[in-house]
Amino acid sequence: MRSFSCALLFALLAASDGRAAGGGDPIRIGQVLPITGEAAEAGRYHKYGAELAVEQVNKLGGIKGRKIELIQEDDKTTNPGAVAALQRLLENKDMPAVLGSIRSTQVQAMLPTVKEAGIPFMIGGTNYGLTHQGNPWVFRFRPHDGFSAKVIARFAVEELKLKKIALIHSTDAFGSGGRDMVVKALGELKADPVLVQGFNNGEKDFTAVLTALRQSGADGLITYFTFSTDNGIFAKQLKQLGIKATWIGSPSIVAIDGRKLAGDALYGTYAVSDFHVDGSPKSKEFTAAYKAKYNLEPDLYAAWCYDAVSVLADAMRRAPDLKPESIRKAILSIKGFPGAEGEYNFDENGDGLDHYHILRNENGVIKYFKTIRVPR
Amino acid sequence: MAIVGQLLFSGLAIGGVYALVALGIALIYRATNVVNFAQGEFCMLGAYALVLFTQGAQVNYFAGFLIALAAMALLGLLFALGIYYPLRNRSFLSVIIATIGASIMFQNGALAVFGPSPERLRPVFEGGTGGITLGEVFFDYQYVVLLAVTLVLVGLQYFFFEHTLLGKKLQATSQDKDMARLLGIPVTRMIALTFVYSTLLGGLAGMLVAPIFFVTHKMGAVVGFKAFAATIAGGFGDVRGAIVGGLALGVVETFGAAYVSVVYKDAFAFVLLILFLLLRPQGLFGEKLAEKA
Repeated sequence: MRSFSCALLFALLAASDGRAAGGGDPIRIGQVLPITGEAAEAGRYHKYGAELAVEQVNKLGGIKGRKIELIQEDDKTTNPGAVAALQRLLENKDMPAVLGSIRSTQVQAMLPTVKEAGIPFMIGGTNYGLTHQGNPWVFRFRPHDGFSAKVIARFAVEELKLKKIALIHSTDAFGSGGRDMVVKALGELKADPVLVQGFNNGEKDFTAVLTALRQSGADGLITYFTFSTDNGIFAKQLKQLGIKATWIGSPSIVAIDGRKLAGDALYGTYAVSDFHVDGSPKSKEFTAAYKAKYNLEPDLYAAWCYDAVSVLADAMRRAPDLKPESIRKAILSIKGFPGAEGEYNFDENGDGLDHYHILRNENGVIKYFKTIRVPR
Repeated sequence: MAIVGQLLFSGLAIGGVYALVALGIALIYRATNVVNFAQGEFCMLGAYALVLFTQGAQVNYFAGFLIALAAMALLGLLFALGIYYPLRNRSFLSVIIATIGASIMFQNGALAVFGPSPERLRPVFEGGTGGITLGEVFFDYQYVVLLAVTLVLVGLQYFFFEHTLLGKKLQATSQDKDMARLLGIPVTRMIALTFVYSTLLGGLAGMLVAPIFFVTHKMGAVVGFKAFAATIAGGFGDVRGAIVGGLALGVVETFGAAYVSVVYKDAFAFVLLILFLLLRPQGLFGEKLAEKA
């Protein structure tokens, strides 16, 4: 990776000699992403999404007469790797902003360095706390988990009119965080859950959980599964035991692995997701451009990175100069910006989105159902 | 009552998997005095072999099953020759560490070859809901097959060890290698045979459990640890103990999850392990072990 960025740097230096054509040095934006390690597959889509936006910005003449350029560093899918990658990027003192991780723990690890460096940091991690720690440089391009819990609860109670709702969740940070917020959101709607049951990731036999679910007599089921494979096993066993409850799941319920494993056991289930190809006119436009360039269906990894670069470019265009503080103010002033994920309205915490799409698994095809926005 | 029945059935079936793997651990321990920590990985490799032959090479499922079993037997032989044989005259520690190394190698090898996405393997009986509901208890056919195979194997194995010459030679080898050698029993070949059989058992357990667990490079680790706990509860190297220990462990953790805590489900196996080590280190059928020593 090092040698790659060096090569890139040399290429850029060489290119900058022909100033007349390019109109000055390119603006170099950093991107920390997994190129190796467990999330390497997702890393590829991060790269694709960001690069598509860069290409579009440059086609429209770049920013203040300069092209933009991405400098990518590998986070190795680990926390120390992410911090090291960020530090390598920050060696470039003119870097106006950095795109960070979609993983909440990695963002958490990088935040102190970001605060010290004092430049805008774009993230995709959805843990609520990340934008609520008084760090003025964090901007989020996906809706946080507090919104997903509220959307799930409102959809279950107000739209589906479910009366007895059971909640089943992973016991890790994501699942138990989701549990707390769903329980709170259901409480506010006067629909306290009839069953709240945790399980450990990697569970293979859900008989105990499912018998408790059956005994609770629930007509609705809300799940927070971290891993789609666990979700797949659960779905199969749920169907075998003949439990019929309307099921709304966290985003892992529409992930391809779990769907492949569970097959028809997931038909008819609902999911919340921040991105869908039919989510908005802009989502459709993004999908078409992405397909044309990569011949691939885009996913949320590509979508949030595309939005991060697009929003940053818009802010830099409007800012009087490229000082971090000016860019920060320009991002905060963004209202009603159409992105691939949804409409961006930044609040003082740096949260750009407040929607979730409801999706439905119709005989194995994930269809867009509706979008719910939550008052902040 | 239906709930108890459901839990008992699921517990016994999962326990059957633990028992098959525990049996492999116990047999190898008896033959070599070494714990094979790669036993769980044989499950994973067996399942992947079946995926490879039935989905990759598009062989008929049952033919694929036999080919995969043959591949596992070959792997067992290679394992004995490559891991056990070169180290057989060193301390038992070297061999144990070599089996841990093999386990890591198998896991990462599978990750490198097959990738992180899980594979779906069809059950033995396809179609419908894959089971039958009798009196509110759902009997998954795959679970039924698992239990049946466990019981049949246990029966066959008893017959083999007690009533055939080869079985007796194997027993003699496990009881006293030097004496067996003096009697003209080819000890090394007997040990290799034990490895082959244990690998077959592990692979078979993996192929049968794969439609329930799905096939991933990590599937062997969970099963391996639970089987290890079952082996301890059964009394190390005690064949009957390993089977009863495995089945009991499946039942205990399923009921524990239902009536005590789902979150601590995996802890029950290890609490059981510690309790046995503290209170009954000779295992469930202790006398037999004393007699063997």
